[in-house]
Amino acid sequence: MTEPAIRMEGMNKFYGGFHALKNIDLEVKPGEKIVVCGPSGSGKSTMIRCINRLEEHQSGLIEVMGTVLDDDVDHIDEIRREAGMVFQNFNLFPHMTVLDNCTLAPMLARMIGRAEAEKTAMQYLERVKIPDQAHKYPGQLSGGQQQRVAIARALCMTPDIMLFDEPTSALDPEMISEVLDVMVGLAEEGMTMVCVTHEMGFARQVADRVIFMADGEIIEEGAPDQFFDNPQNERTKTFLSQIVGH
Amino acid sequence: MTMTAETAPATVHMQEPDLLQRIKAKYFATRIDAIVSVAFGALALWIIWSLLNWAVFDATFGANRGDVCREDLHGGACWSVVSTRWRIVLFGLYPFEEQWRSGLASLVMLGVAVLSCIPWFWSTRRLPILWLTGFAIFYVLMRGGWFGLVEVTEQNWGGLSLTVFIFAAVSILGMPLAIVFALLRRSDLPWISKTMALIIDTIRSLPLLSIMFTFAIVMPFVLPDWAIGGKLYRVIVGYALFFACYQAEIIRGGMQALPVGQEEAAKALGLKCRHRIGYIVLPQAFRNALPPTINQFVITFKETSLVTIIGFFDVMASGRAASGTADWNFAVIEMYVFVGLIFFVFVFSLSRYGAYLERRLDTGRR
Ligand SMILES: Nc1ncnc2c1ncn2[C@@H]1O[C@H](COP(=O)(O)OP(=O)(O)OP(=O)(O)O)[C@@H](O)[C@H]1O
Ligand SMILES: [Mg+2]
Repeated sequence: MTEPAIRMEGMNKFYGGFHALKNIDLEVKPGEKIVVCGPSGSGKSTMIRCINRLEEHQSGLIEVMGTVLDDDVDHIDEIRREAGMVFQNFNLFPHMTVLDNCTLAPMLARMIGRAEAEKTAMQYLERVKIPDQAHKYPGQLSGGQQQRVAIARALCMTPDIMLFDEPTSALDPEMISEVLDVMVGLAEEGMTMVCVTHEMGFARQVADRVIFMADGEIIEEGAPDQFFDNPQNERTKTFLSQIVGH
Repeated sequence: MTMTAETAPATVHMQEPDLLQRIKAKYFATRIDAIVSVAFGALALWIIWSLLNWAVFDATFGANRGDVCREDLHGGACWSVVSTRWRIVLFGLYPFEEQWRSGLASLVMLGVAVLSCIPWFWSTRRLPILWLTGFAIFYVLMRGGWFGLVEVTEQNWGGLSLTVFIFAAVSILGMPLAIVFALLRRSDLPWISKTMALIIDTIRSLPLLSIMFTFAIVMPFVLPDWAIGGKLYRVIVGYALFFACYQAEIIRGGMQALPVGQEEAAKALGLKCRHRIGYIVLPQAFRNALPPTINQFVITFKETSLVTIIGFFDVMASGRAASGTADWNFAVIEMYVFVGLIFFVFVFSLSRYGAYLERRLDTGRR
């Protein structure tokens, strides 16, 4: 049996006295695509952000590509290099050009020379179909373009896993598909992906498993067909009827 | 459609009342307006006229001896005091034959200041290198003792070059200190951030004068011998500390304006703490805090004149000394005007530059 890409066992997260994540158990196999959904405040972001230590978990195990996530900074950095993340608000560095956004981390955290880093960056920018914007600043791009740069920036670190936290939620409707197309392409190439998203079309097309969270717990999980067409849990049914409703 | 056709000529008409009409509308709309306008206009004319009379028409320029100038005097200024004694203002007690060094050194620092206004230099590496190199050249030129230059000790430095020296030294020492303070102030460990906040607030609530005084006069009694250093350097350290506390709060403000997502994105990419600070947080924090930072530099430059209280002859004190001899003691005002102009040139260009930057960054943000 192969080592899982991500493994969480009995993971708990508290914000002060508030129990945000309750006994999360989840295994993601290499190459697997997971879509996480659930009502607002259910802990989706918190869970995905625990994986690369943007949030600290209080108990339980998190293991990413064989590295156990603990307080050791080397382990944290190792995991962050292997798990790329794409945010809802893009979070590009506004004071750098698109190209510099993409080359910064490979040069500093992977010790790659500038020339090679730029070559790689241009390849990924081509992949997300905006090589011609390389020398612009993020503020000069549309939301969809910015999010594609953010994906390219994460890919430049050649991660094994990609984490997406509602990558299309801040976009105007006409720009959503250009970002989803890139993500579908990535999935087809075999990238291990964990996506928090409410794009159910994307989930059906790409996901190996859909996970439904509520109140900090994983309530239901299953293959997309079974999950969408025949949900077991009452809360899942309510949630699905709500998002299909509009 | 029809509306635009109707309103268009009206707006054209509105935009171009002739000059006379505009003046009338602005200054002579009512009777009171007219009276006030005329009164103040007359007052302004009178002031300008008297100033011109004093500074130009009735002034003496050529005489290079005080008594001649005094006899020539018919109510005008005696600019001869400036043309004969400007060297004291610029160079203080610096030996006459070596004053070119002092002048050149100040020009180098001026060049550094101008260069650091160019955005190309705004990186965590280039800016420190620029300032440190400039400062080293300045110091070698001023102090001598190397490269066949005659040694001139700090006690003999003075005038504008001393002011420039203090300003540059305070900036070079104070800026890194300010960054460290700001980072400590923002530390995750409460005892560090609380202690730093206490230090910053304490020093900020003391007058600069008393800090300088403490470092110059009191410190020698407290410190071990090897740590005392020259008086000038103690004052600079004290001033730098003061500068750092104010600047640290400015930088912290700039950091707070950063969205949390910026640092999170840097973390998620696997950047180490020092890289996050050096490449993501500080560059953006400084951009956010540019206007108040420039303001801080302006204040720092002006307040260098406080060093006179511990016996150094900065440009201000030198000006007083230059017109302090029996020969020239009637021309104090002219000297102050000259010194004032020097300050004005520095400070005014700095604030204009600040205003330019603000506009530039505004357009950059769109
Ligand atoms: N920094 C924080 N401090 C305290 N509570 C927090 C913090 N961040 C999140 N929470 C709480 O944790 C819970 C989970 O939040 P989380 O952001 O993970 O939800 P989510 O499922 O991503 O919701 P959304 O769909 O709105 O993004 C929420 O109840 C939220 O109020
Ligand atoms: Mg969320």
